[in-house]
Amino acid sequence: MNVAVLYLLLLKGTMTAFAGLASLPVIQDELVVHRHVLTDTQLNEAVVITRSTPGPVGLYVVSVGYFVAGVPGAIAGWLAMITPGLLIIPLVHFVGRRMEHPRVKSILQTVVIASAGLLLAAAIPLARDALTGPVTVAIAAISFALLLTTKLDTLWIILGAAVCSWSVASLGILTRFV
Amino acid sequence: MSDIADRTTRTRPGLAEIANTFARYANFTLGGGSATVAVLHRELLDRKRWINNDDFSLCFALARLTPGTNLLAFCTGVGWLLRGMAGAVIALLAASIPCAIIVVAGTALFSHWQDNHWAQAAIHGAVAAAVAITVKTCWTIAHPHFKSGARVRVILIAVTAFLLYVWAGLPAIEVLLIAGVAGALLPGVRQ
Repeated sequence: MNVAVLYLLLLKGTMTAFAGLASLPVIQDELVVHRHVLTDTQLNEAVVITRSTPGPVGLYVVSVGYFVAGVPGAIAGWLAMITPGLLIIPLVHFVGRRMEHPRVKSILQTVVIASAGLLLAAAIPLARDALTGPVTVAIAAISFALLLTTKLDTLWIILGAAVCSWSVASLGILTRFV
Repeated sequence: MSDIADRTTRTRPGLAEIANTFARYANFTLGGGSATVAVLHRELLDRKRWINNDDFSLCFALARLTPGTNLLAFCTGVGWLLRGMAGAVIALLAASIPCAIIVVAGTALFSHWQDNHWAQAAIHGAVAAAVAITVKTCWTIAHPHFKSGARVRVILIAVTAFLLYVWAGLPAIEVLLIAGVAGALLPGVRQ
């Protein structure tokens, strides 16, 4: 498949989605159902890979691009992922100048607080998937305590969590609880 | 706080510093973009003091309303505030290239580590930490607004958004647009 066409098809997905995997139905429809250049299994794998590697969930389009057309396809996916981000520049420019207006401030503040509520909602399925036993629950609780009480770099908390979980598994204790 | 005078008196980071910070802190958080925002909040506001809370709210709120990956829009917005167009492009590239390379490597090697017990154990631990980071992020982004006189407002908005999303099943973007309209109608923010 022509990578320029692939870019445009993936862009159609990313430009019309506002969160995480919301672009998935569009991409599935175009690449799996209509053009048969991707399978449902590959699409699922792309999502699993992105969940297991760092970075935003939207990265799954890079994986999709790679499945369809190798490295050039991955580059097309990466471009489709970053292109919509540029749209914020005129928004910040336009709204930023009116930042001192109380109504503008109020709108932004309400959107930020509503996002906090949505984020808490998003944490529920994440917790359901991730906290599957005493070890992972303990890791989450200790991480939370460290985040609240220290200024420890988050990168260390994540690496520490990975090392703890790995150590417990390699010691062979509690393996089925991780 | 975020008027022009304030911005010109603050030291502007160089492009290399912007690239370094976003490459380092926008790419390595498991658990999705929201967890990464908390990491960036800590780095950009608390440690480096490149932006203030108003700048953060501006970029964060608008990033939520921009299509595509919110985190990348957020980084682009912050980069634009710091160094204009060059800052925006550098932040966008630095925030997306390293994790894209990791995903390509992950896709190429998927069949090899899919069944690897050790890799899976490490990933489970890291994702558990990401749950804690995500919950903490709710507080990180809401607490600057949680001042006396505005507490009921903050709780009402957050709870309503949560309920609209979880129980009413509205898509996130619709909840945020409703929030924006409510923000325009509610009495102004007390300073």
